[in-house]
Amino acid sequence: MATLAGLCANIVPAAHSLGMEETAACAERLAAEVAAPGPNFSSLLEQQIELLQLNADTELAARLSQQRVAAGGPAEIFQDRSMIGDFIGEAREHLEMIEQELLLLEQSPENPEPIHAIFRSFHTIKGLAGIFNLTSTRDLAHEVETLLDLVRNGALPATPGLVDVVLACADRLGEIVNLLAEDSGDEGVPLPDNTALLERLRNQMMPPDEDPVPAAPPAGAAPPVGVSPPAGVSPVAATVFTAPAALPAASFGAESGVEGDSGAARRRASDLSSAQVKVDTSKLDFLVDMVGELVIAQSLVQQDPSLVQFGDPRLGRNLAQLGRITTDLQKTAMSLRVVPIRQTFQRMQRAFRDLVKKSGKQAELELVGEDAELDRSIVEQLADPLMHMIRNSVDHGLEAPGEREQTGKPNTGKVRLAASHQSGNVLIEISDDGRGLNRAKILKKAIERGLIPADANLPVDKILELIFEPGFSTADQISDVSGRGVGMDVVKKQIHKLRGRIEIRSEPGIGTTFLLRFPLTLAIIDGLTIRVSGERYILPLHCVQEIFRPEADSIYRVKGTQEVVMLRDRVIPLLRLYKLLGRVPERTDPYSGILISIELEGRRYCLLVDELLGKQEVVIKSLGEYFSAVPGVSGAAILGDGCVGLILDLDGLLSQESLDAAA
Amino acid sequence: MNTLTAPTVAPYGENRGGLPPAAAVAAQAASKHLIFSLGKEEFAVPVSKVKEIIGMLEVTPVPHTPDHVRGVINLRGKVVPVIDLRAKLGVPTAEYDERTCIIVVQPEMAKSVYLIGVIVDGVSEVMPVQSAEIEKTETFSHGLISASYVQGVAKIRGKVKILLDLDCVISQADLRQLV
Repeated sequence: MATLAGLCANIVPAAHSLGMEETAACAERLAAEVAAPGPNFSSLLEQQIELLQLNADTELAARLSQQRVAAGGPAEIFQDRSMIGDFIGEAREHLEMIEQELLLLEQSPENPEPIHAIFRSFHTIKGLAGIFNLTSTRDLAHEVETLLDLVRNGALPATPGLVDVVLACADRLGEIVNLLAEDSGDEGVPLPDNTALLERLRNQMMPPDEDPVPAAPPAGAAPPVGVSPPAGVSPVAATVFTAPAALPAASFGAESGVEGDSGAARRRASDLSSAQVKVDTSKLDFLVDMVGELVIAQSLVQQDPSLVQFGDPRLGRNLAQLGRITTDLQKTAMSLRVVPIRQTFQRMQRAFRDLVKKSGKQAELELVGEDAELDRSIVEQLADPLMHMIRNSVDHGLEAPGEREQTGKPNTGKVRLAASHQSGNVLIEISDDGRGLNRAKILKKAIERGLIPADANLPVDKILELIFEPGFSTADQISDVSGRGVGMDVVKKQIHKLRGRIEIRSEPGIGTTFLLRFPLTLAIIDGLTIRVSGERYILPLHCVQEIFRPEADSIYRVKGTQEVVMLRDRVIPLLRLYKLLGRVPERTDPYSGILISIELEGRRYCLLVDELLGKQEVVIKSLGEYFSAVPGVSGAAILGDGCVGLILDLDGLLSQESLDAAA
Repeated sequence: MNTLTAPTVAPYGENRGGLPPAAAVAAQAASKHLIFSLGKEEFAVPVSKVKEIIGMLEVTPVPHTPDHVRGVINLRGKVVPVIDLRAKLGVPTAEYDERTCIIVVQPEMAKSVYLIGVIVDGVSEVMPVQSAEIEKTETFSHGLISASYVQGVAKIRGKVKILLDLDCVISQADLRQLV
């Protein structure tokens, strides 16, 4: 205890001499705390020490940058793109955390943990903004921090209104960060005006039914260097000091206990960022490429005829060991591309909260299986379609509270977002317990819009699928939230782009469920290796329905135009792949080749190939910018012998233009 | 005017380093050029544009591309497009032999960093070319080779080297038109 007091006494003048006023103030507060321990002593002390550390770090950094500026360096540190890049990355991380913690706080306002975490994050952002001379940003973060400090000390309750304001501030900070990220770096970006937000913040700071907190800022509690103190600061600073002192004094345990606690706090803080390394994605991709090459090289060595001939058991063992290690390495490399879906789910939670508020309905969102892992790029690109579907659920799916009561449902609607692994796929479910899709209404609208003929007799599931048609929107009125005509067709397109599939299940009065299925990774494709006029190609296996040799006399040419094949009494167009690929055929007799039946957008085709080489999982590689305009090829893969095989894009290959060109 | 180290054509997988980096070359007054042959003609390109030189690899053709776009190769895990310079310049094509090699270049003005391989009959040496030695040729006419691909000619030790505009040769303009 005495040591701590001594340390504080040393820090205060040192900090003053360096102009690190906030650090000095912090140390003074800590000293006061040590001198007169209150009941929450250990936790307060913990906070104070942490704060001291934070302040010291940020102020030191700010000082350094100021010195650099003073020394004639670039006045705008903006010019250093890598530094600002770090700032953007870190700020985004903190903002994300702030959002999550705020939602937690809203659910359990009594829990002190979230508020501490939020405070820490805002503090860091403030410090970072200071380093980069983003004065208005720093002031905003500072003001939020001030408000949070009041909450932290119990001077203000964490009301939903307060959470709203803080969320709004976090959003504004996010906007600023985005602006900085888009900025080319040559000149400063115009940042948004924060006056209105600051006003809202200050309004929140007025304690509801209390006299203003006695203003008695102690010496040394000056705001950070070079900032004119915002209006709301001084009463707050006072609270920080008076609140602990106002608490009844109580005895407290030994010094060792204090140290243990603060140690735990530090451990907790470091847990948040533990076991994570940030790596440039291009490095990851390179690593995966190299591992792929290693696997090829390894199999070339293992199958080398002169080594096999050798027949030495020790060599065989060693080679087998090499093979095992390579396989493990490949698996690990592949797993680097997958991430848990958590981040995207949590973004949904935030969006959901705002949607529900806007719609005036009552609803809660249940998240299940946030740990399910899938390809990084799917996780990132999933946010838009998910958001859209959740918006639909809240806006169209859930009924207004009165209506729910009439049908005997609880007032609070439920939306469930669940992820799970299922037979090598990732399954994402978005379900609500709302009114369900109205089939009659969908049918009527589809006929109105001319999507289907008036006398169409569609099975039930086909009716539901009409909502994926372009230009379809079931909302009677265009609302602020959804129903702007960009609808489920866009969602379906986005999901298809990620090689996913979407299904709807809906029971009138019970609810609607959307089922999304995605491959675990976009980097690997299950392919069918085929040979067409001497070249190997890879067909995505998920399109393939059937592989067969044509029976005698099953191929016809209808009116001399399109060739067709009879397969179990069905007439299916026959397409010669060598024609589509513009190759000189090795043989033209279809009966000597193999037919592959595929389905594309509900239509079946049969492709004629020369030979089937096998099923293979391949790593997809982009053909790059040079071939970006080539239709019919979606990428390339390195085959087992080190050569390149092209992955066929059936959509492009069977587009009308390609078919016409081949004919 | 000394002949400097002649690049060796390494079989696949051995030439990891490629040519000396551009920075080292730029330090000298004359810029180093890689000399390669196509039929009886000798061509020169600045080595700063060349990433590496590799022996001929198996090329996978890509459908619906012009004839001179031979396809793609596997360059240590990277899929790299290759074009046949003979076909591109309109020189009658020849069979590939053990001297045939692929000069891997990185095009300028590209949106993203990528590589392109250029198939030539063979590479001979790297030599400095003084800018004084280069004759700009406004109306260059050399048999079948289009003037737009030629930056000039340099006469070195009594032999004419054609300075090729690589960026023009490997531009995607013709590829775009076709599609």
